[in-house]
Amino acid sequence: MDTSTGIASDLDGDIAALKAGAAASDASHRRLPRIEWPEGTRMAVNFTADFDAMLLRRLFNEPPSQLAKGEFGGRVGIWRLVELFDSHGIKATIFTPGRICELYPRAVRAAADSGHEIADHMWEHQVPKDRALERDHLRKAKAALEKLTGRAPVGTRSWHSRDLLLEEGFLYNSHDSLDALPTWVSAADGSGPLLNLPFHYAIDDAMFFSFAWLNTENDAQRMMDPDHVEEIWWDAFLQQYRAGGYLNICMHPFVSGRALRIAMLDRLINRMKTMPGVWFPTCEQVARHVVSRHPFR
Amino acid sequence: MPWKERYTISDERTLPDAEVRWPDGRRCAFRIVVDLAPTSGPDGITPADLATPEAYFGRHGGLDALLGVLERRGLPATFAVPAVIAEIMPDTVRRLRDAGHEIAAHGFKHEDVSRLPRDAEKARLARTTEIIARIAGERPTGWFSLARPGDKFAGGAVSPHTIDLLVEAGYDYFGNGLADDIPHYWVSDFASRRNILALPYYYHYDDQFFLLFPKKGTGLENPGALERNWRAELDAQYKRGRQFSMVLHPHAIGWPNRLQVLERFLDHAASLPGLWVATSAACAKHWLATFPAATHLRLEPSIWQDYPGSLS
Repeated sequence: MDTSTGIASDLDGDIAALKAGAAASDASHRRLPRIEWPEGTRMAVNFTADFDAMLLRRLFNEPPSQLAKGEFGGRVGIWRLVELFDSHGIKATIFTPGRICELYPRAVRAAADSGHEIADHMWEHQVPKDRALERDHLRKAKAALEKLTGRAPVGTRSWHSRDLLLEEGFLYNSHDSLDALPTWVSAADGSGPLLNLPFHYAIDDAMFFSFAWLNTENDAQRMMDPDHVEEIWWDAFLQQYRAGGYLNICMHPFVSGRALRIAMLDRLINRMKTMPGVWFPTCEQVARHVVSRHPFR
Repeated sequence: MPWKERYTISDERTLPDAEVRWPDGRRCAFRIVVDLAPTSGPDGITPADLATPEAYFGRHGGLDALLGVLERRGLPATFAVPAVIAEIMPDTVRRLRDAGHEIAAHGFKHEDVSRLPRDAEKARLARTTEIIARIAGERPTGWFSLARPGDKFAGGAVSPHTIDLLVEAGYDYFGNGLADDIPHYWVSDFASRRNILALPYYYHYDDQFFLLFPKKGTGLENPGALERNWRAELDAQYKRGRQFSMVLHPHAIGWPNRLQVLERFLDHAASLPGLWVATSAACAKHWLATFPAATHLRLEPSIWQDYPGSLS
């Protein structure tokens, strides 16, 4: 029996389905080949901190030692990060779950008072599948942050639906690694564009230092030291500096707030400052700049 | 704080660097904790665990090598000893005590108590205290629940009752707290402010997670990362005037290449003036007298609100 006709038609089907999949993804993203940064600067560096503390540990029902490990972020780490950025005159962006306002109100207020951007990181570090509950969570988080800082957040780092974020007045999401530069994300027909400020797991402290991060097994743990990670991040900075690009350094107060890593970040910032033309804005400042200079089209 | 049950263990903010004080104006506390538990699973030490070449080395050659390093340098350490290990080698435990080291409790057989009923855990705790007290000649003041290398999380397992039982049994401190890098209070009941002093632990300064971890395999021996972590943390904490602590396992750190790393790190530590090398018991005693919970545990009622569709 000759089956070659059937096989050929399956293979044609494969090609068509894969083309359609790639096309749908391509249609919902607009890449910016280069970004014109403000006069006198050649690249932007965002220092961002995900202030989960123990909330994510609680969400996963992890044991008491894990809660305590996260608690370090609220009791110690966040204060040290704010102090570090203040000492360098850098305004950072603190992605804060709404619930953290009920656990560490003083720290959130102190960060806002120092001029750092307080942005959304979901109400309880999860996005409910139910649409009405998702909206409820997003609004609760917004209200909690606004109550402490006096200002509704315009940025988020979350899995929230793009259309809901737009409806609630959000300007950007800093969540995925679509590109080294900020990228426009929309529906496939180009509607509902929202700017994404990329972050990457290789530029994320937890990937190097936090045992069992993202529920990984012991075989997947290889804990590193600050010198090693400093060089990885410095390489990323240097490459983007030469390209005139962007770097978003993602930290967690319970990880980077440890004294040995604060010392490393201090060195890293000093190294970056030796290079002329580096802009250290908040994510909001980057987003407003890109929206006005490189609007969605 | 806003203290919140099942979320937080302590108050809202750590003691700032400028307020930390050590005896005689010393600059930074330095603790060495030696875990005498051999590698075991969550059920605790079995005869098979003790029969491995690694466990033999840990009880003999590795331990002697480590003790030699501590003795030559005159460094007191805290030995976290499972009760069954004290029964197996009582002479060694007494020798450690006579050399000026602290003998602290480390569970009955280093088993995971996190799912035990309160009564069962209480009985094990009482028996452990009795055995250590009898063999070491005095009641232990500290209790450790250190991580086993195969544990899912590297912080050490406690049950919802452990802290309360330790307070009830009159322990001065719990040895592995991760919520701070100085001593801090672990609260088991908000209304009564029932608490125990927790001494800091962090797995980045624990040898077992860097030395052929989690098993034998290419690229899994990373003493350099361990050394750089020790050194970076000590230097940073020394500058802040806080505390440094490390956890050593004789079966791990006692092997030649690793001992060399330890010696080099201790040389560096010795070059820092004003380091207070203390046992955990001495550190806890100082803290309880200088920063007692009555004046330094700043608890505030929770402002958490419950909503449908949200965590409680």
